[in-house]
Amino acid sequence: MHLSDFRLHRPTSLPEACRLGKELGPSALFMAGGTDLLVDIKTRRREPSDVVSLAGLAELRGIRAGGGALTIGALTTMEELAASPAVREAATALAEAAQAVGSVQIRGRATVGGNFCAAVPCAETPPAAIALGARLRLIGPSGERTVRAEEFFTGPRATVLGPGELLAEIIVPQAAGSAGSAYLRHGRRSFTSLAVAGAGVWLSVSQGKIAAARVGLTSVAPLPLFARAAGEALVDQAPSEDAFSRAAEVAAGECRPIDDLRGSARYRRELVAVLVRRAFEAAAARAR
Amino acid sequence: MASEVLVSLTVNGDRRTAAIKPRTTLLSLLRDHLGLTGTKKGCELGECGACTVIMNGKVVNSCVVLALDAQGAEVMTVEGLAPGSGDLHPLQKSFVKHGALQCGYCTPGMLMSSAALISRDPEPKEAAIREALGGNLCRCGSYPRVVEAVKGYKEQQKALLDTLPSEHDERDQERDLAVVGHGVTRYDAPDKVTGRALYTADLKLPGMVYGKILTSTVAHGRIKKLDVSKAKVLPGVLGVLTGADVTDTLYGVSPPRYDEHILSKGVVRYVGDEVAAVCAVDEETAEEALRLIEVEYEELPAVFDPEKAIEPGAPLVHPDDPRFKNNINTKVEWRFGDIDQGFAEADHVREQRFVGNRTYQAPIEPHAALARWEHPGDRVTLWSSTQVPHYLQHMIGRTLGIPGSNIRVIRPAVGGGFGGKAEATPLDFCAVLFSKMTGRPVMMVYDRREMFLHYRGRHKQVMDLKIGVKKDGTITAVKFRSVLDGGAYSSYGVITAYYAGSMLPTLYKFSNYHYDGLRVLTNLPAAGAFRGHGVPHPRFAFESLLDMIAKDLGLDPIELRLKNAMTPETRTVNALDISSCEFIATLNKAREESGWREKRGKLPRGKGIGVGSGGFVSGAGYPIYRSDFPHSNAIVRVHEDGHNATVEIAAADIGQGSDTMVAQVAAEALGIPYQCVNVVSDDSRVAPIDLGSYSSRVTLMAGNAVKMAATAARDKIVLSAARLLGCSPQSLTARDGRIFVKEHPSMSMEWAEAARLAFSVGGPVVGTGWYQPPAGLGGGFKGSTVGTSPAYSFSTVIAEVTVDLETGRVQVDRVTDFSDAGTVVNPVAFHAQVEGSIIMGVGETLLEDVVHTPSGNIANGNLHDYLVPSIGETPQIRSRAVDSWEPRGPFGAKEVGEGSLVPVLGAIANAVADAIGTHVCELPITPEKVLAALKAKENLR
Repeated sequence: MHLSDFRLHRPTSLPEACRLGKELGPSALFMAGGTDLLVDIKTRRREPSDVVSLAGLAELRGIRAGGGALTIGALTTMEELAASPAVREAATALAEAAQAVGSVQIRGRATVGGNFCAAVPCAETPPAAIALGARLRLIGPSGERTVRAEEFFTGPRATVLGPGELLAEIIVPQAAGSAGSAYLRHGRRSFTSLAVAGAGVWLSVSQGKIAAARVGLTSVAPLPLFARAAGEALVDQAPSEDAFSRAAEVAAGECRPIDDLRGSARYRRELVAVLVRRAFEAAAARAR
Repeated sequence: MASEVLVSLTVNGDRRTAAIKPRTTLLSLLRDHLGLTGTKKGCELGECGACTVIMNGKVVNSCVVLALDAQGAEVMTVEGLAPGSGDLHPLQKSFVKHGALQCGYCTPGMLMSSAALISRDPEPKEAAIREALGGNLCRCGSYPRVVEAVKGYKEQQKALLDTLPSEHDERDQERDLAVVGHGVTRYDAPDKVTGRALYTADLKLPGMVYGKILTSTVAHGRIKKLDVSKAKVLPGVLGVLTGADVTDTLYGVSPPRYDEHILSKGVVRYVGDEVAAVCAVDEETAEEALRLIEVEYEELPAVFDPEKAIEPGAPLVHPDDPRFKNNINTKVEWRFGDIDQGFAEADHVREQRFVGNRTYQAPIEPHAALARWEHPGDRVTLWSSTQVPHYLQHMIGRTLGIPGSNIRVIRPAVGGGFGGKAEATPLDFCAVLFSKMTGRPVMMVYDRREMFLHYRGRHKQVMDLKIGVKKDGTITAVKFRSVLDGGAYSSYGVITAYYAGSMLPTLYKFSNYHYDGLRVLTNLPAAGAFRGHGVPHPRFAFESLLDMIAKDLGLDPIELRLKNAMTPETRTVNALDISSCEFIATLNKAREESGWREKRGKLPRGKGIGVGSGGFVSGAGYPIYRSDFPHSNAIVRVHEDGHNATVEIAAADIGQGSDTMVAQVAAEALGIPYQCVNVVSDDSRVAPIDLGSYSSRVTLMAGNAVKMAATAARDKIVLSAARLLGCSPQSLTARDGRIFVKEHPSMSMEWAEAARLAFSVGGPVVGTGWYQPPAGLGGGFKGSTVGTSPAYSFSTVIAEVTVDLETGRVQVDRVTDFSDAGTVVNPVAFHAQVEGSIIMGVGETLLEDVVHTPSGNIANGNLHDYLVPSIGETPQIRSRAVDSWEPRGPFGAKEVGEGSLVPVLGAIANAVADAIGTHVCELPITPEKVLAALKAKENLR
């Protein structure tokens, strides 16, 4: 099992990377950590003519706090994300989602940007980012734009990214007041298993009532899913097991799972109902 | 397309530069360009962790890192772990001392992950160790020992490598033996912790080239067109083989049912059936050439369900073969006693359908073969990752028309087998044929998906079991029917079908027994012999049904088992002779040790405790093909200086530790220290026939042959000592390197001096030994030979689980295991086998299932979707041996490796049933099935 032949490009700046991506056309692929892409090339799911390695783009690394937001470079590894005190404090769900990915070996290489751009339904960090209300800064040959995390995905393995366009940063807003988040997932094996279902949740509490809440779901739709109604169902409610159970039922209704190797659609809905409730309980405890 | 570029990096402190293609992985750079084969190739997709190295202080799977991304990096591999002064790293010492490895294939990766952990956390707690090793899969189940090794590494900093690990010297039994029964250091451990151990795919011969096999993409079809012309002219391609180029002679495992061609002769019967093969200068070119072969199939109707396959009008898997009418490969009809009378005598009868799963051995080392045709004459050397060097030699010779002894089979280190490497593979055949064709050594290795396609894993069994009991629990009758999904070819399946029924009467006594076995052909990969061969599923069914019956009758499940338990010196209803048997002791001790009485029926909802028992043969009573040769044969040669002895035996160490057992038995019989015995077990040119590592036969059979050979050599040395000491040889004994008068131990001499004397007087001091099972085993009825053995093992497992009642997730918390394995030759190896069985049992019960798409393609042929247990699935394990002595075994020993798996499935299933109040009768017991069972139970209320 070998990698198919490709030309490897190693740009050292973001504009150069974007230019290469555009010039080389759709048969060229960007590579961050490579833990997904190299597997896809080995198994011949993808056979790119060119691979543009982003490893040399220092400007896409690092986590910064400021301006009421946490800004996470797309090349931040899962390990860095899971270990970052700032992320664990202000974007707990994202740290927990990063920790759920693969193994130590994988988390040291896999990047959050790669996790987003692979755009698979079982990606762990996008639902957490969706729950946290994150925005994504995209940079392309003709400039930059910002999209909401939930707007980034257009289908299985498909995103809004245009030719030569890259995901540069994930921007997680810092809510004023008392807020908390959590990510829970169900895998068949303790380590190194894909999520059968997962739930990222966030809520803010003001004067004993939930001011806002958001839910992102893993592996229960063709793309990382924003379960809008589940979050809205909690607004103005007092945080309670009952309220969270009702919201979880709403989420179970919102998701669009399929039957596959890892579980049936029906079972996945049942899991969503459990995971969303438990995640909200954890998030609410953190919001105190 | 892309030209070569230079990469420079520091590997193990050395500056290294290589010219590589940009697509070269770090794994390939290390192994193929720099010759550092200690880093292993297991899955190639970042799933198993065997290729773990440390790059700039972080662990990476080197198979999914581009070598160019390591430009300028500091990389450390297992070869660089030791400080370089000839000493080992404390972790390496600790792994050796704790016996934290078996086949050793995952060990370099485990060590690198552990090394990275202790560099950031010098005193890691268990949770941190588990987290750090979560990405390193070990199929032997060495996890508990690895955890202990990492926890205890600091204590090893000054330790000597060959220190006897006293903490393992548990002496499960008190016998006056000097070497047997002691937890000596594994014979192969130092090589395996340093990366020195060479597995087949690590070998590199001058001029070596590579082969790959093209397999069918349809489940059943006729080859309409097979055009290899483009592949043949691809630069670098040296040869192509199709069905037209290979012999018409069929091969297989059971002589009456040889049914496989090396390459398809026009029909393919499953996705994965071999169609053509290519040999090229490198593996990439061979893979590329496969893609240039044009194949068109006329698709034929296919069948994937064994019960549908026997319905009238079902598509036939072998329509032209009169042996397999109606897709029936093997039919067993056993009738013992009076079944109607038996059920009439019963106060309670219960029957239930149980369904097993298709589980795959999934050794971390892929199958590999390297052949070198040698001139003049039809001679070939074949290095193969095999459990059965002799059967491989026999089958290659028979099929290709070469005398067996012209084929020199060398078995390098084997990275686990579990029954999946117990027959000749298309790799072996094609490597030999290509080597003959090209005159060059030819290496062929399966990738992970190809391993799953080759399969030979566990037969899925659909089982109907009916048991009748009296009020007091006495079993009066057992009726069992099993339909086994055999896949497309026979493989070991005839034997599997008999084993499925033959072992049920070995554990509990009953005299009225019917067994109907039907091994059915389907258009799926062929099932074969997997640890416990045919027995784990029926035993799961039996143990589950016993628990249901116990509940019906208000009996304690252990009491019900004790009521019917096998006792020594018993002939079963199917004419198997049980010799030693301490089954009752395993039940009683497991009950005491686990706190059963305090827990059973008293745990909160969601917590459960369950019991299961099992056992297996200690070696098949008859060989696979008819032969009168002794089953195991050994030569012991004492070296002229008297300081060492070498055992030449072909018993295949596939990681279970048989070389260690051989050295211990030889040392004991010779009367010298363990460290003075060498073992040569890898070369058919050196050692006479041994049938191989299957049916848990090695300790008893090879152990007996070695004991006999060593005793013969010792007798020669004792004779020369007797001459010198002026006493009779009968008055002398040898132990720990000395020979002394039994009654006056002070009258003694050095063993080595006596050995030198013996050599000086009589030339080479050699002893030979052999083992032949007792004649006439079995009952003479059809199939009665399967299940015969010189001895049987017994064990009881008590499992404790926690079930998440909302998600259905099952966690096995604790397992208590008591085994009757006769004398335990090596406690470290014994516990490693038991622990490995328990962890594999967790996987088979809860996680594992090979799934196929509706068109018969494998859906989870990788280690990400096919879930072998990770370190996180490891329960707390307490295992012990009960005191036992098998008169037919060497120093009282019998088997443990397969029998210890058999009880685990039922124990876990019964614990889950205890936790949720209802049984799940279909394996694997997935969270989804647990939830469905809970719902079904609530709906009944």
